[in-house]
Amino acid sequence: MNDYLQLQGVRKMFGETRVLDHVDLSIREGELVTLLGPSGCGKSTLLRCIAGLAELDGGRILLENKDLAKQPPRSRQVGMVFQSYALFPNLTVSENVEYGMKMRGIARPARRSRCEELLALVDLEEKHDVYPQSLSGGQQQRVALARSLAVQPKVLLLDEPLSALDAKIRKNLRAEIREIQKRLRMTTLFVTHDQEEALILSDRICIMNQGRIVQDGSPEALYTAPRTEFVARFMGSYNVLTRAEALLLFRNVDSTADRFAIRPEAITLLREGEGRTEAVEGCILAGGSVHSVSVLGNIIRLTVDTAGIRLTVDQLNDGRWLRIQEKDNVTLALDPSQLLHLEREGA
Amino acid sequence: MNIRKAGFAPRIVMLLFMAYLLLPLLATGLYALARDWQDSLLPTAWTFSWFSELLGDLRFLSALWTSLYLCLISVALSLVVMLPAVFAITVYFPHWEHFMKGLVVLPYAVPGVVAAVGLIRTYSSGPLDIAGTAYLLVGAYFVVILPYMYQGIRNSLLTVSAVELLQAAELLGARRRTAFLTVILPNIWPGIIVSSLLSFSVLFGEFVLTNMLVGGHIKTIQVYLYQRVGESGHLASAIAISYFVFILMLSMVLMKLGRRMGGEVSK
Repeated sequence: MNDYLQLQGVRKMFGETRVLDHVDLSIREGELVTLLGPSGCGKSTLLRCIAGLAELDGGRILLENKDLAKQPPRSRQVGMVFQSYALFPNLTVSENVEYGMKMRGIARPARRSRCEELLALVDLEEKHDVYPQSLSGGQQQRVALARSLAVQPKVLLLDEPLSALDAKIRKNLRAEIREIQKRLRMTTLFVTHDQEEALILSDRICIMNQGRIVQDGSPEALYTAPRTEFVARFMGSYNVLTRAEALLLFRNVDSTADRFAIRPEAITLLREGEGRTEAVEGCILAGGSVHSVSVLGNIIRLTVDTAGIRLTVDQLNDGRWLRIQEKDNVTLALDPSQLLHLEREGA
Repeated sequence: MNIRKAGFAPRIVMLLFMAYLLLPLLATGLYALARDWQDSLLPTAWTFSWFSELLGDLRFLSALWTSLYLCLISVALSLVVMLPAVFAITVYFPHWEHFMKGLVVLPYAVPGVVAAVGLIRTYSSGPLDIAGTAYLLVGAYFVVILPYMYQGIRNSLLTVSAVELLQAAELLGARRRTAFLTVILPNIWPGIIVSSLLSFSVLFGEFVLTNMLVGGHIKTIQVYLYQRVGESGHLASAIAISYFVFILMLSMVLMKLGRRMGGEVSK
């Protein structure tokens, strides 16, 4: 295997609590993998274990087939960007960026030119003699990124780097991080609790829950084929159905699963009495009444009650549904091929 | 700038309050400079002789010097012990903080008199017979300023998020000691200076404990003041004013440092 970074059965306890429970993960060189999960799922702890800031209670971490366990953080060749930036307030921007190189004994001229290069990369050439406190949050985080890239780490760890920034800056910096990561082919582990961020950034997403990786795969795969109820609920606004509810809506289902899921945009909405048969071929029709309508911009999200089940339905906001109101009667077209059969949790 | 906007009544209250606080000081100041002040509103004749007598008195100068170096030694000792200790606790053993918080309140809980009697009884016999010596005093001073030093150092560390800075530095290849010296110490330094000066001025003004512990053997400025109050009112006033000026200068340095640090943080 040419796996660059490998985690094998990583375990970590905080007192009696199992924070990481046998985590296995391998990452290829140049890949950006996102650890996605709710707060307290152990994703940040996993990052800190890789960095050497937290000790393992079991398992191994291999980087280029060498065990990291005995090495202190400073010799692991791992870079890290913190949510709170963690820039050194007593040093200027360029001194911050050069800090790691200085610690590694790189000569001043070489440091200088590398620092210029990196500041250009993160678009902050003008700022090298400024102290971090006078920069905006987004700028500070870019300095932190440049600082961790300066020592050419083998792996870059990003611990919710965008969470402290406001929405617009977050989007810009997100795109920038991805671009820099691709350009440098930097092996990167990105921790976030924001599924949209994960979907946009990643080559691969690992969804974590209660100290385990519950599913991993490409963003498309995770979004279209969640394996468990947890992933389905976390990845989007999937409608999760019990077996009884699924039987009620789809009449028969050919599996023994007891949880099912269907994406909101996979349900077609028809006005009552509207006969758009071509769209409904192979679908099961069900009558219902609208419970709520909210316009999210390019889509309209409705909740519809049908046979005592409340379903979330997304429709493209193409003008046809603008006048729909609560308590309107509608017909739902449900495609049985879009119904996902979920596994039991922890299976 | 708030004072300019404040109404009439608050300003009056403020003025009265200032007068209440400053009037005794003014009177003391006048008395320290007066040669003849019997039956007039203001002194009829002025003199610097009380100050020159004071400054010419070797006992005053030696008391000042004693106070100065005893306080300096105590603060320095506290710094040497507390800085690494608080750093280690805050960064590596945060679960000990609970214990430390309790420990640090103890000096407040024990009144000076009780502490003094206890200390004298404990250290006047047995293996550690140091009652009445400077060693005992420095030890007691160490305990007195423990809360100030602990809180000051701890707050500085928390304000700059020392833990994360340290981790960031370590991941960039710094050894712990280097990281401490290059990114922690420069950032907490202003806070440490402020708590040291605060501790110093607390010790400089300390009387009860000092007088009971070593009053008969070591003359600090406070003990000296106490002994000479009865001699001459003018002289006592001069001592009080000199002492006040000294503390005032110290406080001004403190405030300036505090403001500079506050400015840096809020920027």
